[in-house]
Amino acid sequence: MTAPRGRAQPGDDPEERDPGLARERTSLAWTRTAISFAALGGVVLKENVITGLLVLAVAPIVWQLGRVSRSGAARTDLPTVGATRLFIIALSIVAVSLLCFLLAIFGKSAPLDLR
Amino acid sequence: MSWSRRLATLLPRAVERDDGGTEPDPRFTFANERTFLAWSRTALALVVAGLGIVQLLPPFPGVPAGRHLLGLPLIALGAVLAVAAYIEWVRSQRALRRGEPLPNSVLPWILAATVTGIAIIAAIVLLLSALR
Repeated sequence: MTAPRGRAQPGDDPEERDPGLARERTSLAWTRTAISFAALGGVVLKENVITGLLVLAVAPIVWQLGRVSRSGAARTDLPTVGATRLFIIALSIVAVSLLCFLLAIFGKSAPLDLR
Repeated sequence: MSWSRRLATLLPRAVERDDGGTEPDPRFTFANERTFLAWSRTALALVVAGLGIVQLLPPFPGVPAGRHLLGLPLIALGAVLAVAAYIEWVRSQRALRRGEPLPNSVLPWILAATVTGIAIIAAIVLLLSALR
């Protein structure tokens, strides 16, 4: 991901003519991330319904955050909006894995029959 | 730079107010964001794998804590990877703004080291279970 210095001709790269492709790829990446949250929610649902629903509820939030990059307006302003969104994603993954950690320890298959 | 100041530069507000250099090509910003999202999905997949091992696998005969030895590090790695991916994104975004070379990523190293560790634990657990 280095700056394309000394590239042949402007217009050779299809994205030079249509930078919307990068936007579209990013928006698809957001969708996949939302689906990943939903998949994790499904797995957690099997162990504990309330925690599972909690994780599942994150998926539409991620979807909604991804919509910001989908809107055609404010094309150049995007990076200023980006940091908070990504921070929220990182924080929710930490929170979700903490929940899963506790579930794994105190859940149905507790180690050494500690429960 | 002290630790607290270094931490403060990682907060979203500091990144958004960063006015060093110039605004990079939006395509690079998008690419950086996609890389972060890809690492986030990797982190989520690790959590799913860890939870799946603990929940869905039958217990190892003779090693009652075997599933937890394998699953819990995977779940913890998911959390570590998510935080590391965000830090990496901030550093890359700063470098992109200033036209500097991108910083070396520690994420592949973290992932490779932990997967190796898990594989070794898995081999030990299986051996103990077989030799019981």
